[in-house]
Amino acid sequence: MDTVVIQNVSKCFGRTQAVKNLSLSVRPGEILGFLGTNGAGKTTTIKMMLGLLAPDAGSIHVLGGDPRDASARSRTGYMPETATFYPYLNLHELLFFYGGLCGMSRLAIRARARVLIERMGLGEAAGRLLRTYSKGMLQRAGIIQAVLHDPDLLILDEPLTGLDPLVRIQFRDFIRELREQGKTIFFSSHELTEAELICDRVAILKQGELVVCGEMQAIAGDGGQNLERIFLNVLGADAEKGVPA
Amino acid sequence: MKQRLLQLSALAKLSVLELYRRKDLVVVFLLAMVILLPLSFLSPFGVSGASRYVSELALLLIWLFSIMIGLGVSARLFPPEFESRTIYPLLAKPVGRGTVLLGKYLGALAASVSALVVFYLAYALLVGVRQGEWFAPILFQAVLLHVGFLMILTALTLLGSLVMTPSAALTLCALTVIGMLAFGQRLPSLADAQTGPGRWILCAMHWLAPHAEFFDLRQRVVHAWPCVEGSVCLAVLLYAVCYAGLCLALAGWAFRRKRL
Repeated sequence: MDTVVIQNVSKCFGRTQAVKNLSLSVRPGEILGFLGTNGAGKTTTIKMMLGLLAPDAGSIHVLGGDPRDASARSRTGYMPETATFYPYLNLHELLFFYGGLCGMSRLAIRARARVLIERMGLGEAAGRLLRTYSKGMLQRAGIIQAVLHDPDLLILDEPLTGLDPLVRIQFRDFIRELREQGKTIFFSSHELTEAELICDRVAILKQGELVVCGEMQAIAGDGGQNLERIFLNVLGADAEKGVPA
Repeated sequence: MKQRLLQLSALAKLSVLELYRRKDLVVVFLLAMVILLPLSFLSPFGVSGASRYVSELALLLIWLFSIMIGLGVSARLFPPEFESRTIYPLLAKPVGRGTVLLGKYLGALAASVSALVVFYLAYALLVGVRQGEWFAPILFQAVLLHVGFLMILTALTLLGSLVMTPSAALTLCALTVIGMLAFGQRLPSLADAQTGPGRWILCAMHWLAPHAEFFDLRQRVVHAWPCVEGSVCLAVLLYAVCYAGLCLALAGWAFRRKRL
């Protein structure tokens, strides 16, 4: 059974149609790249997958259940686009807080946090208040909180935006490591190069509509086009000039 | 059930931690101490025995500072979550919106009550030093009812912060509670003296606004009057629980309807 099943989902905000009749599924253990320009409807789709927004039409099933149910959310990890957390907490306190909400025991949080903090290279900064963290450090704290409770599905919303190359590599390796552990990853981004490097399949959204979905090799075709070229092609010629068609 | 309690405790702890690490709360707290403690040694009008004036002034300050802290704490529980978007990872966890609301409310109440207890301890010290009377029973009753007042104040401000801007919520709630403290008792007689819409407005205020004056035992404490009857005290606390519960129910409705 697919980890995420989105069927004919639409969502409007006033007169703006954010998502139009979207149907998409995410298979277990894969990394799906969810691509699109700014305002394409990626974050709205993610919010619906997390149960934060209700679709106007259609249905969404996450891990076999309604995303608004606590049981689905207890197996889902989410890293927000802008990883801003409570500035008056340190990383340990933040992880105890989120772990507590997920029903983890203090012992389990401590053990898991130690491993993840070391893995993401935040060992020395873990006792500092989060307001003193740089953007890269906050992003790393963001992914730690997302995987703290060992979720089966990980939803990453623009996780690599504004990161330096070293942190990008660290993130990429970590995401691959998670896939090897059997986790399903929904990777929303407009960082095409990164998506090309780590995703098994990609889905491209244009003004709320799904225009392409498939495996990287199948989309690239015989010509072996890169993702950037495919992206420009599906968004129309104007996109090449930086203006979505 | 156990998980719900753990979640509530995590949320409340977060609110308390955040609030105590904010410098503004500490500033109000220190200011209160700086004003309250020297009062122990003040001789008003040159009369060393005129302790009632000092006690009255100290209690007035305690009420003012507790209102400031209660308002400041609860008006800023949710708006920063929306502004900094921390609400998304929070609600992405397996926690209901009702639990988030209740947990944050309990945190705000705990922070306000902890400050209140320290204020009253300072007051008890003041009275003890000046009058040699330590921890009169009426003082315990005053603290208990003051906690009831804070239950209403924090719930009302929390509701306000979810339906309007934080500054508007602060202003409106401050005006309401201070106005009710000053005029709440006289509202029915003021309404009787009016005709037309003025009468209806005052009647509506009498029935809808929180009767903060029910919780104010300052005069009894200052003049060392006997305690309020237990049943009256219980009824007033029950009123606080019902009013705060109603505010929280409305806040829960507003939070569920809020577009994320």
